[in-house]
Amino acid sequence: MSRPGTLRMLTRDVGAALSFGFVALVVLAAILAPWIAPRDPYATDLLAIMQPPGGDYLWGTDGQGRDILSRCIFGLQVTLFMGLVSLIAGGVIGAAVGFAAAFYRRLDGVLMRLMDILLSFPAILFGLALAAIFGPGLTSVIIALSIATVPLMARIVRGAALVVMGQDYIEAARATGMSDARLVWRHVAPNCLSPIFVFSTLRLGQVILLGSALSFLGLGAQAPVAELGAMAAQGRNFLFIAPHISVIPSLAIFAVVLAFNVLGDALRDALDPRLRI
Amino acid sequence: MRRYALQRLALAAPVLLGVLLIGFLLMQVVPTDPATVRAGPQATAEVVAAIRTELGLDEPIWTQFFLYLSRLAQGDLGVSIINSVPVTQELGATIGPTLELMFAALIWSIPLGILLGTLAAYWRGSWFDRITMAVSVAGVSLPVFFLGLVLIWIVGFQYQLLPFTGRGGPLWTMDGFLAVILPAVTLGGVFVGPVARMTRTAVVDSLTADHVRTARAKGLSEFRVVLRHALRNALIPVVTLIGLQIGFLLGGAVVTETIFSWPGVGRLAVGAILSADFPMAQGTIIVLSAGFIVINLTVDLLYAVLDPRVRLS
Repeated sequence: MSRPGTLRMLTRDVGAALSFGFVALVVLAAILAPWIAPRDPYATDLLAIMQPPGGDYLWGTDGQGRDILSRCIFGLQVTLFMGLVSLIAGGVIGAAVGFAAAFYRRLDGVLMRLMDILLSFPAILFGLALAAIFGPGLTSVIIALSIATVPLMARIVRGAALVVMGQDYIEAARATGMSDARLVWRHVAPNCLSPIFVFSTLRLGQVILLGSALSFLGLGAQAPVAELGAMAAQGRNFLFIAPHISVIPSLAIFAVVLAFNVLGDALRDALDPRLRI
Repeated sequence: MRRYALQRLALAAPVLLGVLLIGFLLMQVVPTDPATVRAGPQATAEVVAAIRTELGLDEPIWTQFFLYLSRLAQGDLGVSIINSVPVTQELGATIGPTLELMFAALIWSIPLGILLGTLAAYWRGSWFDRITMAVSVAGVSLPVFFLGLVLIWIVGFQYQLLPFTGRGGPLWTMDGFLAVILPAVTLGGVFVGPVARMTRTAVVDSLTADHVRTARAKGLSEFRVVLRHALRNALIPVVTLIGLQIGFLLGGAVVTETIFSWPGVGRLAVGAILSADFPMAQGTIIVLSAGFIVINLTVDLLYAVLDPRVRLS
């Protein structure tokens, strides 16, 4: 990010430019949902149930006659919120663990073994366990996805911080008598931003995919909340009469996740060609 | 090798204990009384009290934990709140189908992913490479349920080519084989992309290595160079990464089982959680977690067998 030319490299890559534009559009749509959605996402119209896309309702209606386009726009809001909150919560804790492991070498072994243990369980399992304890809901999903993000971020940050800590300027800063916290905050962390940024972009896509899968299973967002995974699940009952009810929200998830993945890959190539996550 | 294996086992044991402890604590926080559940709906207060004593529910919590462990060792995980069936009995019936589904998904997706990744690495920069990598990114971004629903809708319903609900029997029978195709394509479909990507990276690295240049200089055929010298060395990281991705696959299995009504552990777990059947939910989560521990242990050991540097370091 800090290096000049990153933006230019991104705009030269057509796929990356397109995904960047798409991500910006999606975020904007989610924020502006109440103003741009053509209809109330919860208003039912029993005279117009399961309308195919194209007519009065641009993307058709669902089994209760609700406007799918409006529900998708509001669904983006829920989906992105879920993704961002779990990314930030898990990312901040993970980064703290990663810095601590790189900085205090005595803690390194213990911390990273703990991270390995967390890493050996998939996010879906955390989702199942938390839904079993706290009951299905968006909160359970967010906590589960945060926990699953912690070890991944810890590994990325530890790796990046170890490289930075080997540099001469860190030794110099230390020699001036700078406190540990200040050293990390002022000198180590800013130089680890590239890999953190790349990882966060790619992870956001994965978190959205996992979260919508949990919602699809009924363990996440609960009816009538418009959430893309939950909408796809509700459409299952009408799959053979009105497949668009499931297909449209699924396509929306696919497009958003794909955009984050393409953007993340391009960012990685632009910021650090050697970086492999 | 033996020392390495023992070290790994020693690391896995406390993790398993941790999982069991969490499973135990899960039952402490949920609003159900195991004694009432075991006694059944018509039981009198005396019967419930007797069962409570028998289960040791009046004991201190640590004693209860050890009693729980000893019951677990005897295969007693409690009974379902919904239908009073022992949890272990249900689990025993569902583990097989889940393994079957995962096997059917892996048997085609790993070879295909390795093949595509190797070819993409060999012809790197070509249109084949670009298309394969683009399709891989798309595959990684595809919700499992989307692929499943589209297959059910088109292959199962529109053209009625294959069954799409439940398991048809053992894999080697015709019905069983046909029934597993769509779920296996769904689950394996999201796995091909990651395998192809990982293989491509590893083979590209390996193709530029000195020993491959030597093999070429010796005048070996390209086929032999790629297969015996480049791919073989590249397989070590690929095997590890595939192992790590199996967790991802089991996550996908939970969704796949639900969509196709496949009678596996994942579907059982989701059903139990949604119907607040706590003993069943606890049992499925313990079994799934233990499954991961075993998978990770196996991958670690396999890695050590393939790459002597791991066990000697």
